[in-house]
Amino acid sequence: MLVSLKWLDEYVNVPDDIQALCDRLDLTGTGVEGVERVGDAFANIVTAQVLSKEKHPDSDHLWMCRVDVGAANLGDDGKPEPLQIVCGAQNFNEGDHIVTALVGAELPGDIKIKKSKLRGVTSFGMNCSERELGLGAGHDGIMILPDDAPVGMPLADYLGKSDTVLDLEITPNRPDCLSMVGMAREVGAMYQENWTDPLPEAAARLQLAGETPDHRVSVTIEDAARCPRYTARVIRGVKIGPSPDWMVERLAAIGQRSINNIVDVTNYILFLYGQPLHAFDMTKLADADGNVDVVVRAAREGERLQTLDGQDRVLTEDMTVIATPHAGAVALAGVMGGLESEVTDATTDIFLEAATFEAGRTSRTSRNLGLISESSMRYERGVDDHGMLERSAAAAALMVAVAGGQVMPLADDGFIDEWPLCSQPAHLPFRIDRFCSFVGADIPEDFIEDALGRLGCTVEGPTEGLFQVVAPTFRPDLEREIDLYEEVLRLWGMDRIPSTLPASPHRVGARTQRQQTSAKVNEVLRAAGLNETMTYSFVEPGDMARLRLDEEAAGLAVELLNPLNTEQSVMRRMLLPGLLRSLAYNQRRGVSNVQLYEMGTVFHAVQGRKHPKERTKVAGILSGSMQPKAWNNSPTVFDFFDGKGVLESIAYELALPKIRFKALNAQEAPYLQPGRAAQMLAEGSAIGWVGEVHPLVAAAFDVEGVVVAFELDMDALEKAARQARPSEEVPTFPPVEVDQNFVVDEDVTHEKLTQIMTSAGGKLLEDVRLFDVYRDDERVGAGKKSMAYTLTYRASDRTLTADEVERAHERLVKKTADATGAEVRS
Amino acid sequence: MALTDELEKLRADTLEQVACADDLKSLDEVRVAVVGKSGTLTGYLRNMGNVPKEERADVGKAVNAARQAVEDAIEARRAELAAAELDARIQAGAVDITLPGRVQQLGSRHLINRMIDELNDIFLGLGYTVESGFEVETDYYNFTALNAPADHPSRSMQDTFYVKDLSGDAASVRGESDVLLRTQTSGAQVHAMEDWELPIYMVSPGKVYRRDVADPSHLPQFHQIEGLVVDKGITFGDLKGTLEYVCRAIFGPDRLTRFRAHYFPFTEPSAEVDVSCAVCGGKGCRMCKHTGWLEILGCGMVDPNVLQMSGIDPEQYSGFAFGMGIERIACLKYNVPDLRMLLEGDMRFLRQF
Repeated sequence: MLVSLKWLDEYVNVPDDIQALCDRLDLTGTGVEGVERVGDAFANIVTAQVLSKEKHPDSDHLWMCRVDVGAANLGDDGKPEPLQIVCGAQNFNEGDHIVTALVGAELPGDIKIKKSKLRGVTSFGMNCSERELGLGAGHDGIMILPDDAPVGMPLADYLGKSDTVLDLEITPNRPDCLSMVGMAREVGAMYQENWTDPLPEAAARLQLAGETPDHRVSVTIEDAARCPRYTARVIRGVKIGPSPDWMVERLAAIGQRSINNIVDVTNYILFLYGQPLHAFDMTKLADADGNVDVVVRAAREGERLQTLDGQDRVLTEDMTVIATPHAGAVALAGVMGGLESEVTDATTDIFLEAATFEAGRTSRTSRNLGLISESSMRYERGVDDHGMLERSAAAAALMVAVAGGQVMPLADDGFIDEWPLCSQPAHLPFRIDRFCSFVGADIPEDFIEDALGRLGCTVEGPTEGLFQVVAPTFRPDLEREIDLYEEVLRLWGMDRIPSTLPASPHRVGARTQRQQTSAKVNEVLRAAGLNETMTYSFVEPGDMARLRLDEEAAGLAVELLNPLNTEQSVMRRMLLPGLLRSLAYNQRRGVSNVQLYEMGTVFHAVQGRKHPKERTKVAGILSGSMQPKAWNNSPTVFDFFDGKGVLESIAYELALPKIRFKALNAQEAPYLQPGRAAQMLAEGSAIGWVGEVHPLVAAAFDVEGVVVAFELDMDALEKAARQARPSEEVPTFPPVEVDQNFVVDEDVTHEKLTQIMTSAGGKLLEDVRLFDVYRDDERVGAGKKSMAYTLTYRASDRTLTADEVERAHERLVKKTADATGAEVRS
Repeated sequence: MALTDELEKLRADTLEQVACADDLKSLDEVRVAVVGKSGTLTGYLRNMGNVPKEERADVGKAVNAARQAVEDAIEARRAELAAAELDARIQAGAVDITLPGRVQQLGSRHLINRMIDELNDIFLGLGYTVESGFEVETDYYNFTALNAPADHPSRSMQDTFYVKDLSGDAASVRGESDVLLRTQTSGAQVHAMEDWELPIYMVSPGKVYRRDVADPSHLPQFHQIEGLVVDKGITFGDLKGTLEYVCRAIFGPDRLTRFRAHYFPFTEPSAEVDVSCAVCGGKGCRMCKHTGWLEILGCGMVDPNVLQMSGIDPEQYSGFAFGMGIERIACLKYNVPDLRMLLEGDMRFLRQF
């Protein structure tokens, strides 16, 4: 909301230090979003007086003047010093009061005043005409001010055009601040200054005149909840025309364009008192007999109304309209009037509405129609139903003052007042001790009493540490004791409350098991060279198909009812698609070495359940190689075993027991390339998968090359994780290492060989390490492979003899060969 | 020639040869030829029997002296040559130490999670627990239990993502569904107030969603950390002291904070907190829109309605709550020209953190 400080100063003393005022407003809850100084256009232009006037030696029409500009020009001695100005005007005399633009001033039309020489004589400014100042058409000569005009005063101040306009952010709980008087009251409370309410005097100016009209004027409220109060006055014989300058200026200062005198009055009263008004052309409301029967009712579904902005609006039953039986809807209650009944140049009779409408309904109506007006903004926050008589009276009186006419006496009290639902002021206790212990500071009783009083509360007491407070009806936010605490605290100053830390002995900060597991997984992944990323939680509905999965393979999709676009309309069920998109993003930008991981939530819906299932997954992709080719590093392209290695590192760090990798076939993991896909199990429970992404899937995501991916379930990891591995003694006796190779059929796996060797090797076999896999159709044989192992034998209690090792090793080789058909070659 | 003269000549010749030997191999050849088993000097010793008796003592002495001299010279030369060879080897082994080292690539933490880690550590140190909660919530936990008015615009389909409710319930608020993507992490705190033993000292960092089209300064999904304390005797001063500490911990010990009264439905009294601008030190610049302050969080004393709705007696307990946007803090601490970069996975961006 825009607030003119010049206008505000009429009602409360506005401090001179604008910056300090803004800071104080900010700290007490009224955000200052902008500060505009209106008089800036007249910077460096001052009132002045001609001291002397002599002919220019080289000109027959120029004058050399000495002009007193007061303190606007100081000499070296710090005293005012007159300026020499060359002037071409002929309409002035010595002693005249004039307006002078000093060096540095900018006049309309982008004229910059500089020190200049005119036919050899230096001029230190310019004496200005009205036209040059943008103040009027007068250009017969320079502007001559009255003899009592001060000298050296900034022109803006002299003309009263100096103003500062603040753009204030009023929080939704403070409807009272959406008016000049509300802000005057607020500023008064901020500075403990008294303020003057202009309303009683303005309302008292109302004079009823003429006779009660012959025709009927009535108001009916169909639903009190929609319209708690509706008042109306009739002003007859107005003459529509321009508003007086003072009103145009005030409205202009707060950004409002002048329309005509009647509409301007409704706006003026709205900004001054926060009371939205609507002026109807009464003849448009009257039926054929001249009767005006206004009904406040629910709009009919599909009912139409052309609003003041010229838009045709289709209404719903949720909206409230002002209607007459014959004209139908004539205004959208609380939001905007109808075009048909608007005040025009031809209007002579005004039906003036001042009312309150239901807040929530007004808010929905204006939002649903995309029509937010100054009225709707106030109604949706709450307009006080008390004091309406006076505000309406002030408006009517002002209309008569600016547009003539007479306010007709209506009904009993001179105006129509339907008030089916009267708001009641809240009676609240204020426990002083409790307040002080709540904020953590001793705030004096007098301050509390004074602050609440200045905000419009009635405060009684204290008796036994208790104030009895009655909150004003214009503060609907003051409903509870705590609401009063907030008021006193903000006016006292949050900065004055001593800072402390909670003193509770009952708290312990600790990471949960899950948080510890997550932290370890993150550390391992980063140690393995992967970079953490984040992708969108909402994805394309077609992602399951792109992964060659059945639509419900990962559960039912969680569908957004109002997605931003169809590409982001379901919640992700796997992390892989997001990572593949990021990979494609990198590849498109020429980044080919990509190592990404994400830990995040996946979702799936369950029929019959409100809450979807949320699980945390960690997934990664590897594409290209770990590092670019370098002088001491020839990179290898990532393959299945890089991904598997990452998982093995996680298993090691989390001390997962009995890790196994089981091949996944095309049915089990259609998104992975068969033969390069595995499931990771810990003690038989699935933890996740790893593999090379199926080429068709890669193509579906516009990804090139081999992509290794994995996805693990964090719940499963947390469940399987052990605090530590069982520790073993560090060996004291030497090992014996024997290299052994086996030529086996392709389908004999490393896992199988290892199992057999481990069981055949007995207690002495400490370790089995594969060091070579070799295939050669001629030397090894087609369909066969040579697997070379280093076998480590050791006893924990003695140095093994050659015989012992030989016997153990022979047994191992024989059993392995028997079980797998392995051929042993040297 | 007298024997002693012969010996003298041999000694001199040998020393000459030793001095001339320019590597260990030729030096060894000299050693073998002179003092080896069948070396020339060894030959004299071996032939001592043939030396007339009266000369033996002198000759023996001369031979031994010659041998000693030769052996000493060889040893000295060997040491010299060994040192030279080591020197040569070292010189040959010199590398350009400005060549890059053999680095194993370390991965990077996402900027947002890096910030969350930092914040979690601060709060763990203050004795808080960390609980992130679920990302899909009901209208009740996201809004109602937090005192949000039924008509509040943030609840609209314009501002909040709703998901299809498969429970078959008639949705309670918005016609179609009361299940939504949380717009704040406060739901986790309501669950805590309902389910946990008091007192509560918790923070909830996590992902939240709002229906904003992604642009350089908005994302439809972003992160917040919200905190909640409920205990006996919690004061506004405690809220202030805690957040001042947290702001200094995040932004540095020299930064000032200020509390501006504000309005939030969840808290009363409420405040927004600013820290002094790091760019201009509070004098005012473009970064802080010439105010000298940067807004970083919202906070307040937990509204008694909120406590009551969760079954906590506001006459017995009080508390405070606060919330801040992680992206905002990340942007203030690091240069992120476009928030969308946080979700693109560009390796060149990620690896900077």
